[in-house]
Amino acid sequence: MAARHLIIGGGTAGINAIRTIREEERERSDITLVSAERPYSRMVLPYYLDRSIAESHVFTATAAVLAGWGVKTHLHRRAAGLDVKRSVCALDDGTEIEYDDCVIATGSSAVRAPVPGAEGRGVHSFWTLEEARRVIGEIVAGGHVVMVGAGFISFTILNSILALGAKLTIVEIAPRILPRMIDGTGAELVENWLRKHGVAIRAGAKLTKIEDAKGRKRLRFASGGDLTCDVVIMATGIRTNLEWLKGSGVTVNRGVVVDEHLRSSVANVYAAGDVAEGPDLVSGEKAVHAIEPTAQEHGRVAGANMAGRDVRYRGSLLANIVEVCHLDVASFGAWDDPRAEAATGLRADRPAYRKLLWRGDRLTGAIILGPSSDIWTTNDVGMLKGLVQSGASLAAFKAHLGRNPFDLKPAFIASKTTERLLPETVLGRPSKAPDGTPVAV
Amino acid sequence: MSVASVTPTRVLKLTPEKCTGCLRCELACSYMQTGAFQPSKSVIRVSPFEGHTSYAPYTCTQCAEGWCMTACPVGAITINAAGAKDVIDDTCVGCKLCTIACPYGTMFYDPGTRKAFKCNLCGGAPACAEACPTAAITYEAVATTDWLGNFAAERTAHALLLETR
Repeated sequence: MAARHLIIGGGTAGINAIRTIREEERERSDITLVSAERPYSRMVLPYYLDRSIAESHVFTATAAVLAGWGVKTHLHRRAAGLDVKRSVCALDDGTEIEYDDCVIATGSSAVRAPVPGAEGRGVHSFWTLEEARRVIGEIVAGGHVVMVGAGFISFTILNSILALGAKLTIVEIAPRILPRMIDGTGAELVENWLRKHGVAIRAGAKLTKIEDAKGRKRLRFASGGDLTCDVVIMATGIRTNLEWLKGSGVTVNRGVVVDEHLRSSVANVYAAGDVAEGPDLVSGEKAVHAIEPTAQEHGRVAGANMAGRDVRYRGSLLANIVEVCHLDVASFGAWDDPRAEAATGLRADRPAYRKLLWRGDRLTGAIILGPSSDIWTTNDVGMLKGLVQSGASLAAFKAHLGRNPFDLKPAFIASKTTERLLPETVLGRPSKAPDGTPVAV
Repeated sequence: MSVASVTPTRVLKLTPEKCTGCLRCELACSYMQTGAFQPSKSVIRVSPFEGHTSYAPYTCTQCAEGWCMTACPVGAITINAAGAKDVIDDTCVGCKLCTIACPYGTMFYDPGTRKAFKCNLCGGAPACAEACPTAAITYEAVATTDWLGNFAAERTAHALLLETR
């Protein structure tokens, strides 16, 4: 009998697992996908919001693609429970699916600040396609949008809101913006840049209530100073979708704990993406990253192992990039490690900032910030990633980089980081193109 | 299925000792890629070493992993007939995930077009190699390697020594 693989969740991790199983398997297996939504890419929703792409552009594996891959689907269904003894997954409509192995890739959901009115009319999250659809109809030129939460998610849709001609105010409970992506120095540069571009920012503001106000919304704060607006977007964090695993016997900490094969505590149950707590490349500790690159790598490694390969995962590297009004901000690895030795550089004439974090002679984290017109005339964004990823000793260059953290390229090349990186692949073989075969140019 | 079908048959071989720093490759690259002579849009970039007494061109290795390609959430990066990882402009939304996935720093973003861009070997006739007058850049059927590492290590070591005096 053909092996029966069950993919629970149709996001980045799940779809990458399916594709990789089909790439790696020796005999054709049965693949079943359970997904609450049609598979789409969350990363591109901001471009749907500003109408630079059509909604059709967001879908990753359409019905035709899934049929081509020979995947049985249970769409618009959620997994409700896992019986690991019988290897059966129960769905929310009572259907039971038997599997030989499965991958839990149920992702995460947006959470709203627990204040009265947070669930009311005109208050939105921006995480799923359904939520994006609700927001897209409400933002109009000249309208006032308030975003609650100044984290990564807010910043990915900031340009879109401005492009639609709306006025934007960002409120954040923490004393500064982007608290989980850059340090205080970087945050201050971004804040000043945004203010110059007409975005109002209110940091250290505790939202207490959202009320209706003659067809508009009024936000009240502990420190006073009401805000009236047309649309409220709550980007106050996410939580992993784990509740359905309660009592299953699968070990869960902050996420489903997985080993270097992406296997959970149950041998034939894998987990991948936002829901998985797997090895972090820099620290070696287990961590939930909830970022797209980790979901993709997790999905591929889990898929390869489900297909019978023995692929060990080195671990995922925390990496984020966001651009606001043509200011690029990226951070890599352990950028907020308080025990690391840090070297920083700040340009006097423009908002350009670098931070390099060291453990001994190894670069373990980095922040890069600067105008897009500067950043992309250099190779530095990727080179920072490469230096952190490779873990190369930079003993000969550390002092120089301490004096000038902007002069990265000679150190990257002369440290022979390219030589270290060239043999590295996630699956131990060259990757295949998304459409499987070479195409004409 | 065979690996050979996705491995570039020819690669850009860089011989930094022959580079004079004339920057013709950057002009040719940007002209081929964008239709205008604008080195800031070139995907091959020449760096000075030893206080501008020697130079080396640097570009995408067309690595086996294809970090940019596997990172793309919409499948906008594929492998073209020359074996190069190539951005399909109509599919790219400009999310920049490829730029933080590529560990070589050879994936770029154009704020004007809102698209990612990279070396695609000009589809099999790389303009940089054609333009290079000293054969520092050649297009050959050899295995990709770290063409610049030793060259740069020697020259940088000297510069770092002077710095510490």
